[in-house]
Amino acid sequence: MITLKFILNGKEVSITTEPHIRLLDLLRDKFDLTGTKEGCGVGECGACTVLMNGRAVNSCLALAAQVEGYEIVTIEGISNGDVLSPLQKNFLLHGAVQCGFCTPGMVLSAAALLDQTPNPTEEEIKDAIAGNLCRCTGYKQIVDAIKETAKELQVK
Amino acid sequence: MNKEFSVVGKRVIREDGFDKITGRAKFADDYKFDGMLYAVMLRIPSAHAKINSIDFSEIENNEAISAIITSADVPGIKKTGLIKNDQPIFCDEKVVTPGDVLAMLVGNSENELRNLVKKAKVDYTELPLITDPAKALDQEAILIHPDNGSNLIVNHHVKKGDVEKGFEKSDHILEQTYTTPLIEHAYIEPEAVTAIPLGFNGVKIIGSIQNPFTARRIVAAVINLPLDKVQIIQAHLGGSFGGKDDTMCILSARAAVAALKANCPVKIRYTREESILESYKRHPYIMNYKVGFSNSGKIIAMKINIIADGGAYASMSPFVTWRSVVQATGPYEIENVHTEVRAVYTNNPYTGAMRGFGSPQPIFANESLMDEIAIHLGISPVEIRKVNALKNGSITATGQKLENHDVNLIQVLDKAIYAADFQNKWRANKKEKPLTKEFDFNNPVLQDYQYVEPDKLIQKGIGLAVSYRGCSLGAEGIDTASAYLSIQNDGTVYLLSGLAENGQGMRTTFAIIAAEALGILPEQIFYLETDTSRIPDSGPTVASRSTLMGGGAVRNAAEILSGRLKKIVKEEFKLSEEDVVSFRENLVFSRKKGLTAKFSEVCKLAYSLGINLATIGYYKSPSVHWDEKSGHGDAYFTYVYGCQVAEVSVNIGTGEVYVNKITAVHDPGTVINKLGAEGQVYGGVTQGAGYALFEGITTEKGLIRELNFDQYLIPTSKDIDVIKPVFVEGKDSYGAWGAKSLGEPTLELTAAAISNAVRNAVGKRFFNLPLNLEEIVLGKKLCPQEVKRGSLQ
Amino acid sequence: MRSTTIEILFPRNLSEALSIFSDAKENLKIIAGGTDVVTGIQQESKRFIDTEVLVDINRIPEIKGIEVRKKKISVGAAETFSDILRNNLIQNELPLLWKACSSIGSVQIRNRATIAGNFVNNAPCADTVPVLLVYNATVEIESLSSKREISLQEFLQGPYKTQLNVNEIVTRINIPIPSKTFVGDFYKLGRRRAVSISRITLAVLMDMRGGIIDEIRIASGAVTPIGARLTGLEKFAEGKEVNDRFFKTLASKMGEEIIKITGLRWSSEYKLPVVQQMFYQLLKSIEQRSL
Ligand SMILES: Cc1cc2nc3c(=O)[nH]c(=O)nc-3n(C[C@H](O)[C@H](O)[C@H](O)COP(=O)(O)OP(=O)(O)OC[C@H]3O[C@@H](n4cnc5c(N)ncnc54)[C@H](O)[C@@H]3O)c2cc1C
Ligand code: FES
Ligand code: FES
Repeated sequence: MITLKFILNGKEVSITTEPHIRLLDLLRDKFDLTGTKEGCGVGECGACTVLMNGRAVNSCLALAAQVEGYEIVTIEGISNGDVLSPLQKNFLLHGAVQCGFCTPGMVLSAAALLDQTPNPTEEEIKDAIAGNLCRCTGYKQIVDAIKETAKELQVK
Repeated sequence: MNKEFSVVGKRVIREDGFDKITGRAKFADDYKFDGMLYAVMLRIPSAHAKINSIDFSEIENNEAISAIITSADVPGIKKTGLIKNDQPIFCDEKVVTPGDVLAMLVGNSENELRNLVKKAKVDYTELPLITDPAKALDQEAILIHPDNGSNLIVNHHVKKGDVEKGFEKSDHILEQTYTTPLIEHAYIEPEAVTAIPLGFNGVKIIGSIQNPFTARRIVAAVINLPLDKVQIIQAHLGGSFGGKDDTMCILSARAAVAALKANCPVKIRYTREESILESYKRHPYIMNYKVGFSNSGKIIAMKINIIADGGAYASMSPFVTWRSVVQATGPYEIENVHTEVRAVYTNNPYTGAMRGFGSPQPIFANESLMDEIAIHLGISPVEIRKVNALKNGSITATGQKLENHDVNLIQVLDKAIYAADFQNKWRANKKEKPLTKEFDFNNPVLQDYQYVEPDKLIQKGIGLAVSYRGCSLGAEGIDTASAYLSIQNDGTVYLLSGLAENGQGMRTTFAIIAAEALGILPEQIFYLETDTSRIPDSGPTVASRSTLMGGGAVRNAAEILSGRLKKIVKEEFKLSEEDVVSFRENLVFSRKKGLTAKFSEVCKLAYSLGINLATIGYYKSPSVHWDEKSGHGDAYFTYVYGCQVAEVSVNIGTGEVYVNKITAVHDPGTVINKLGAEGQVYGGVTQGAGYALFEGITTEKGLIRELNFDQYLIPTSKDIDVIKPVFVEGKDSYGAWGAKSLGEPTLELTAAAISNAVRNAVGKRFFNLPLNLEEIVLGKKLCPQEVKRGSLQ
Repeated sequence: MRSTTIEILFPRNLSEALSIFSDAKENLKIIAGGTDVVTGIQQESKRFIDTEVLVDINRIPEIKGIEVRKKKISVGAAETFSDILRNNLIQNELPLLWKACSSIGSVQIRNRATIAGNFVNNAPCADTVPVLLVYNATVEIESLSSKREISLQEFLQGPYKTQLNVNEIVTRINIPIPSKTFVGDFYKLGRRRAVSISRITLAVLMDMRGGIIDEIRIASGAVTPIGARLTGLEKFAEGKEVNDRFFKTLASKMGEEIIKITGLRWSSEYKLPVVQQMFYQLLKSIEQRSL
């Protein structure tokens, strides 16, 4: 057992855990942050995507102990209470959510993209979410939602 | 329908969107309960084996194990199934497919259980395997279910006219065989369910369950309790596509048996590997088509023989293959038809319902064949289809006269070819000879002529496919649906239907229908959690029937209540008998006096007058009939039509096929939610493209090779460029204002259109899906002999 | 699934790490991005079944960073693909490496996976290997008592086998900056357009003077048991005149060479003709661009 300290959704947290459990399990089981999903456990589907120091990573491929001192953001940290982020709002307006299982990971991949590339091309958007499988939407409305968000953020 | 709608047909945000976008929506594995245990499955690496003994002695006293569950613990029926009871809850005598579960360990550490389960000693004897469905009916074939008497699950046929005479009258005859692979639903959420024991009140089950009522029936029979002692709650479903039915019923039953024995909540959740291993899939088909036609392209006779691989259990095979037998000739009026479809048992993973439900396979065969006929006669793919297309009043292969709805086949075809500029592109890309090079494996070093000029490496092609599709269950079963609607005294509304949300946006569609009928906004409607204890059974959410059937029930409920409200309005505001009351934008209007009241005021009034503002609406389908013996009947009460055009680029060096564009024209009847409808098209086409190009489960000695998404490839965001949905809204008198179905038609056409486009690009016909790298370059599939994982391959 | 615990150590600098490795046994493994290690542990693959200690090397400054040292670009072993992709030096001076890194996995994978992690396993489909081979990359290896630098070619011994000892760590990969007269390209074939295991990879770097091949370096991956330079082919090509005919001959020679190295396997029927075809296409496109 080790005690970890890291920043989770903006708050400093401390937790005692087995060091070798996956970050995914740490978030879901110890912090009850069940917005982060498991679809494959091998890094292929992206349902488990979270932000680690601002970058999208697969939480099924990171061990809990590895986040010591890092900053982690999950889907629960994306909206401000009940106020949706522009990205979340556009996902809804564009019909980018169907079953919703891929959605948290998709939103985080998109958030990381817009943070680093505020005005992405369609190719860059598709590349940013290529590690997030969605079986429902065919991706089109997701790409549209991200495009629209980028446009709105440009205007501001 | 010339009616002006206020919310129907608009882009409406889904009612569960907020919870899903914030991560708050609870999916099955997100539920936790005090004292909850996990159950882990015991399997053996064999697809066909007789179990001699199972020895738990090394682990049975281990503290980590609270209970070991075997078939002996099942209090009720030990075998179940949607149609035939041929699937054991626990296989203690024989394993017939690699996903079969022998027993289950229950305890509070899932990880430890997964290690311990490896220490159970199973003594088994391998039995001969049947993996080729074409051999399942051979005389010498071993029987997979000996009580069935043969490996035949079902045999359907359709006969019209006399095919042999038809062939005699034909100027040309073509005969071809097509095959399609075993397909995984690949919902991104793997299966999960928790059963909670409730003492005298039975058991409560929360899970990723597609059809709560089916699950209730099966669980009740397995644990031997009356239906009212089994309460099923559907968690948010992370995709289903027809795939969370049988498997989830059985998992629910296993969890219930364990929960009752351990007297604790018990959760089962699958890894992706287990999900692919045990869940049922889409049927592989072997399809032989023989067609006779005249010089002008008129099809005179068509003879079809299909073998469907049902895998180890019957599941939905009888219904899936029934749709195939009805629709196998495609949307064409043909005088002489003989279609025979047989589903057989093999040791392969079992197959059942999947989006398309027996249509993607024959459409791939039939629409490939139509193009071949056109090429044979030197006419265009459009012409051959127009010559033979179903029209208003046509007689289908089953002898049904098409009436009571717009038979819009030619309309969707025309719209599609115009939108995609099909005719010009098709002619420009057309190849007379195959462009792909033949290789001789004995001389693998290339000769100069086998190198492709760089500017010829990428070849463009365009192709199309059309279909018609019977709506709802058809003569497969009794077709009714119900919906509960309750208006509160402030004008807000509770809604619940017996059909289940599968992620497709059904609840939103229903909220729109209720809102339209009551003149309020969809946001005012609160959709209740799907719970079998609160609403009558509405049959399964399959066959794209939810909008048509459930929508009909919601509209019925809304109209019952709006009728009651209108009566009060007339009395209270002293309106004349012949005046007409209507509800719009939360206001109440009289035709004569104009604005009369607010909707909420009328609701309040109704309450004060003691009027009941809660009701259950019903919708029952018009009758259909089917005579299995003659293979004749009015199979479905209405149909939808679609046409998709695919534009592709083929790399003739590597065999890569890239989808540049799919133009998808569909007539779903009235479109209720534009946003949802477009989403269905994008999603269905993308799944269809995966079916066309890379998806497929293969086995080696009966064991599955592709157990996770590193091997089972589904399309990513980068695999298809443009998808363009176009709707033609044909008139129909059924359902809610003629809203029919869309979910399945969007998927069923894509592979056929892509395959025709590839033919147009490279001048060579491919008969076997998927059109993967090896298929395009070599005209066959290649598979490794060993089953290995990931990068090791 | 793993239920016995694993200890994880976080050395803060190289010497701390080296002393941990100094008395290392087989039960100790390095973890960098973890994209191979974590699934290996989860699925109890043979390579990790005995692992009891993991050493996380992500916080060791000496094995990070990209800089020029003695006319070589020196890439820290624990640099992630995303960091490499963002680096201008790599983009300008080592475009083949840039292209190979951009083709790996997904954004999420590239944000974690490291360059050394890619070749230390010596899997046949490691995408950076053919590229690093044609760039004549060398590998710096350290243990508490020794430091050595060997060519990547030597480092890679056989499928899933390298020269690395249990008490050693790869610290840097050093790549000589090729002269501007070199032109080349990297080619990857997968079953999908994204997140796809390579079926075939090729890397070519050549220096043509007056239509004659002065020097050429060719490496393949996924068609040979390990990523490897095709030296026989290189020797055959040097001094030859560049023309369409010759490219075809060279491509067919590659077919022969691969049969010699790999023999015939289940996948050869497809891969053999395609690798020749695409090698030819690659040569043509390099020629086209250098005109
Ligand atoms: C979804 C997915 C997609 C992928 N796609 C691709 C792809 O397209 N192309 C491709 O080539 N690979 C791909 N990979 C494989 C993998 O990501 C890469 O090989 C990656 O570079 C490994 O790096 P890592 O830092 O994550 O390694 P780790 O998993 O941390 O380590 C891998 C191995 O290297 C050892 N190691 C790591 N660093 C050092 C060091 N400095 N010194 C000594 N030993 C060390 C470790 O002990 C371990 O044995 C993919 C993997 C996944 C999960
Ligand atoms: S669960 Fe992590 S990528 Fe699929
Ligand atoms: S919305 Fe269902 S997987 Fe993406």
